Amino acid sequence: MKKISRRQFLGMTTKAGAATMFAGIFAPSASSMLGLGGVAEAATKKIKPFNFAVLTDAHLYDIADHKFDHILEKAVADVNSIKPRPDFVLYAGDLGQSGKKAELVKGKKILDKLKMPYKIIPGEHDYYLDMGKAWRKLFGDEHWSFNHNGVHFIGMNSILVPDFWTLKKLTPKERMHMMEELECHNCGAWGVGEKQLNWLARDVKRVSPDTPVVIMTHSPLWDYYPRWNFQTYDAPEIREILRKFDKVISIHGHVHQVVYNEIDNMRSCGLLSTSWPWPYPPVELEYPHIKQRRADPGDFEDGLGGHDIALNADFDAIVHWREFSDLLPDNIKKGLKV
Amino acid sequence: MKKVRKISFTAAASVIVVSSALIVASMAQAKPPRSETQVAQERAALMTAVAKGDDLWHSAKLGNNGLACANCHPDGSASNVHTWPKFQTNLGKVGTLREMINWCIAVPMQGRILESDSEEMIAMEAYATYTHRGVAIAPAKDEQHPAVPVVSGPGYPRH
Ligand SMILES: [Fe+2]
Ligand SMILES: [Fe+2]
Repeated sequence: MKKISRRQFLGMTTKAGAATMFAGIFAPSASSMLGLGGVAEAATKKIKPFNFAVLTDAHLYDIADHKFDHILEKAVADVNSIKPRPDFVLYAGDLGQSGKKAELVKGKKILDKLKMPYKIIPGEHDYYLDMGKAWRKLFGDEHWSFNHNGVHFIGMNSILVPDFWTLKKLTPKERMHMMEELECHNCGAWGVGEKQLNWLARDVKRVSPDTPVVIMTHSPLWDYYPRWNFQTYDAPEIREILRKFDKVISIHGHVHQVVYNEIDNMRSCGLLSTSWPWPYPPVELEYPHIKQRRADPGDFEDGLGGHDIALNADFDAIVHWREFSDLLPDNIKKGLKV
Repeated sequence: MKKVRKISFTAAASVIVVSSALIVASMAQAKPPRSETQVAQERAALMTAVAKGDDLWHSAKLGNNGLACANCHPDGSASNVHTWPKFQTNLGKVGTLREMINWCIAVPMQGRILESDSEEMIAMEAYATYTHRGVAIAPAKDEQHPAVPVVSGPGYPRH
């Protein structure tokens, strides 16, 4: 309660004091420094409505004609069929399964069939064989931001763990193998790390608090079930940096399921995979009605799919889990207003 | 089993009352309280099976497409061991946990099924069951059940 009023107070002072300055003196320098186009526009708090798609967690194997290849292909075709056509696609990590270059190359080949541009971040399965080398070569930076129609988009690598392999003299393959297990109990909790926190603070410094923000990470930015790294250890710091914004929408992969949470100004949505659905962990959900039903093990597409997220002028988002089968409860079948 | 044995002991006791001290002695020997060492050994044997099952559960070697049981069932979750036997749609009948494990190996994992009484299968069952210790045996509901939360480590004593 206390925190909310503090945020509102800050938001008000910034708005009242800076709105004209943004439009006048500060806007050009701020936008050129950040390479942004939308700072002044966003200060009016209106965005140009659009929609974007999200895919994640394909877990491709270096095996020809693998069933997961076909599921990702199906999801890509599904995104291409969305009307109105999404302006772009975000991919939330775990494109490969064992961090092999061949898996990532195969994944890129399939993603390149998208009819719109896409931005991607790594998951733990993409990373721990060569510490992201192949991934970076194919996809570039592990963190980035851009502005679109007045919304500030951020992507970060949230799967960085402290070194557990050097002392144990593990080979890259052994390290990767351990990270491949969801319940790896010797790998430690992961996060974005100090470097990215500093980058984030710099990135949003000149973005006005009434700018709508969408942040994508592989893991949730809240403590869901740390045992399975359904968490990001420095999420509190991330939330604090983003606290000045009126509303932040967080989307994350890794959980392979529909899940939702709200903390302060952040609304978090868990995403469907295109490989297998994870079970819900043994904790109580804050929003138990935003949950998918149990999947049929005999149907390999059950519980899987992609996402379409539509934003209106007031930054109301309609998050649409496009589940291939029929596992969504009625209340979110047509999308969830976030 | 227990009941039958009890009856025969009673019978033995009442009919051959006077008979030999030998029987009495052998009866005492048949059921001495298990020593702590013995209990520890038996428990260790179970934990060895659980550990073996854990390794198999996380191994892609049972299948042929890279998948392991743990891909979909981390910490033994969503295996609902406490609900078997039950009618399982994909088995088309009332089946057992072992049959379901074999179905998973054969279909989603595209592997070769295990002998139902093999050491491997028993180990897998030991692991899956151990992850649900304390959960009440109950008929299946139409939802997945989480396993017992694991606080740290593998979730059982392992050396
Ligand atoms: Fe994943
Ligand atoms: Fe992941």
